[in-house]
Amino acid sequence: MTIETLLILIPALPLVGALLSAALGPRVLRRQSHWPVVVAVVASFLASVVLAFQVQRDVEKLPTDSQGFERVVTLWRWADLRMPPSDASLQPDHSPSGEGTSFRVDVVLRADPLSAVMLTIVTCISALVAVYSVGYMHGDRGYWRFFAYFGLFVFSMTMLVAASNLVVMFVFWELVGLCSYLLIGFWYEKPAAAASGMKAFLVNRVGDAGFLLAMFLIWTFFGTFHLHSTWSDGTLVQRGVIDQAMTSLGAAKTLGSHSAPIAAICCLLMWAACGKSAQFPLHVWLPDAMEGPTPVSALIHAATMVTAGVYLVARCLPLFAACRVTDLVALVGGGTALLAAVIALTQNDLKRILAYSTISHLGYMFLALGTGTLAGLTAAMFHLATHAFFKALLFLGAGSVMHATGGVTDIRRLGGLRRRLPVTYLTFLIGCLAIAGVWPLSGFFSKDAILQVVLNRSASGEDAELYRTLFATAMFGVLLIDFYMFRPFFLVFHGAEKLPPEADGRVQESPGVMTVPLMILAFGSVAIGAYFEWTAGLARFLAAMPLPSRWRELHAGELAASVQTVPLGRISAAVTLVGIALAAAVFLGRRSKAAGLARLMNVFGLYSLSYGKFFIDPIYQWLIVRPVRGVAWLAALLDRWAIDELVDVVGWTPKWLGAALRPIQNGLTPFYALAMMVGVLVLIVMLLM
Amino acid sequence: MSSELALLNNYLIVGAMLFGIGMIGFLSRRNMIVMFLSLEIMLQGVSLSLVAWGRFHNDFGGQTLTLLIVAVAACEAALALALVLTLFARRDRLDITDWQLLRESNQPPYYDEPQPAAPPVRRDQPLPRLPVAGVRPETSPDETDYRPEI
Repeated sequence: MTIETLLILIPALPLVGALLSAALGPRVLRRQSHWPVVVAVVASFLASVVLAFQVQRDVEKLPTDSQGFERVVTLWRWADLRMPPSDASLQPDHSPSGEGTSFRVDVVLRADPLSAVMLTIVTCISALVAVYSVGYMHGDRGYWRFFAYFGLFVFSMTMLVAASNLVVMFVFWELVGLCSYLLIGFWYEKPAAAASGMKAFLVNRVGDAGFLLAMFLIWTFFGTFHLHSTWSDGTLVQRGVIDQAMTSLGAAKTLGSHSAPIAAICCLLMWAACGKSAQFPLHVWLPDAMEGPTPVSALIHAATMVTAGVYLVARCLPLFAACRVTDLVALVGGGTALLAAVIALTQNDLKRILAYSTISHLGYMFLALGTGTLAGLTAAMFHLATHAFFKALLFLGAGSVMHATGGVTDIRRLGGLRRRLPVTYLTFLIGCLAIAGVWPLSGFFSKDAILQVVLNRSASGEDAELYRTLFATAMFGVLLIDFYMFRPFFLVFHGAEKLPPEADGRVQESPGVMTVPLMILAFGSVAIGAYFEWTAGLARFLAAMPLPSRWRELHAGELAASVQTVPLGRISAAVTLVGIALAAAVFLGRRSKAAGLARLMNVFGLYSLSYGKFFIDPIYQWLIVRPVRGVAWLAALLDRWAIDELVDVVGWTPKWLGAALRPIQNGLTPFYALAMMVGVLVLIVMLLM
Repeated sequence: MSSELALLNNYLIVGAMLFGIGMIGFLSRRNMIVMFLSLEIMLQGVSLSLVAWGRFHNDFGGQTLTLLIVAVAACEAALALALVLTLFARRDRLDITDWQLLRESNQPPYYDEPQPAAPPVRRDQPLPRLPVAGVRPETSPDETDYRPEI
């Protein structure tokens, strides 16, 4: 099959599956509603793998001086609005002659190394989670609904990844947000779930506003929504946003007035990415999103949707690097990584710990992107891939624990489950080791890649100090990962056996349909990092992305010659082992050590700060929610007592007039006759006058 | 010429007087038959002025129209008297104010003298209720999920 066919099949199959599940689920398929979606997503995964291999084959055939590999397929023209040429004020400033007068949006899918990698990750995790959900959601009342949403999500996510156009991307950016909302609030009878869904949706909307504003600016300054240039038979049809920006920045030589709008665009895009990828100011929705079913947390809120922000920034990275917004990206990423890791240390809900760990790891990805180099992009995508595997594994493991114990996630109420859930125990252990970065599991290599690019960046260039600080932060974060991951691990699986009353004493291993995906993910968590690292496949593959040549030249040498001034791998491995040993020392023995540590930390209020999640939610509550509610209350008051009354007056006027005239309709014939006579007299008098 | 004009004036004065007497009668009386008679007098006043004008202009149009009016008035009298008879049969009274049903629903009726108060409605006696009958309709278990009230 050609790349074009595959590219259409990958999103189309889950959509068809979702529609089939939605149409046939409630009446015909009932308990078999998973079949269309599971089959479609698995087929989509196979198509993605074939696509990735075909792209790789074509990449290797590329001439060395090429602009990079891409293949686009135009599905249909969505919008084509022509503006009157006289209206010069609407025309973009930098548009090529004759191009800027029409607003054109094509639905274009693209296959390049970045989207191929991303599609493979997304569909792979989706397929495994879909199979797992068959066991986890078994017997749920909304079984078909779950799989319909699931298929819709995979469709939206693959379209988001494959879209070549910012407008189309935005549509699916919103659609994955909608799917997230629907799936968080899947058990809508639970008030907490409904509220969390709403919170996630609203916080995401705040981020999406940034995306919209960025699109407005891009249209104003570049007159196109395509990020990459459009080529047809070797001739340039339309220059993309990145190319135009690089040209205009290159012409200006220095960072001046030309870079200001581009910097604004980048900041707004980063704001959008913060919303979707749960970075610092907008991270508050992700921990609450854990109210949804656990497979959803694993797929949407750990492996795929939340990486959309990383993907967006990675796509536009040359822009970010050119106007030095990368510092902001690195700062936000590094800061969030540390913040979330500290919060994760003290939480008691297993899924919330994993959620904060996700935020922290997304922060690491942004930190890597923040170096603004091709190596940084590769490291971020590398970590994205490995993180998708081990975090999905950890979430599904947590789901397996919940499945066995009747939905209990409080780690203080669980203990010693390793004998009862051997497969879950082993796979969870592998996930923990992988996320902690023990050699040779995948987390080690990807984390190392990130630390390496940050260290390289801090060696020279502008703002080297900032990156040095961020490197230290990241290194400290690595130590914290061990702590916050092994704390729930030891508490849940080791120690004296504690079974919650919800489990009803029947704690046993989950069915094979759930454990097999766990094992596959565990295998992936072990192998994928080493595979990519030792073959260096990902780096070479991503280097063939269509990138502006200027940026490519700037960073061409970096991949080969990563400055190995310090044995970073050994240092981080040592830090990891020390961290695990410390965690074991604290949490494996008597419980008093953990309590003592908490008391010690609380001398400076650190423990309560972490336990209270840095009080960001209450701060937002007081700074934003309450004032907005106050304004809404005022507006409601104004609406009810001023505007409503005004409108009512309009309705009452005829009523009052009618009431005033009503007494003359008294039904007395003499009165009517008299009125008629008087009327005729008045008429006659008026005529005679 | 002036005698013709004087004659017309006399006719018209008589016609106007007839019309005015009829109008005053119509407005001031409540007996339906008398009101009907007044109406006929008004009609005759108009007819008289028509005949007068017809003679003044040497035109038979006025008299023709008057003959038509007489014919129509005869039909109308038959109809009106039948109506009056029917209304009388209903109430045994000829008073026009007995018939005020076309007033606005929230307007109080007009009475010459105060009416006796209506007997109070007794509220202590409950309305009779029918016993529950029939079988409970079948509902699917799915339906109870989203319609918990059934």
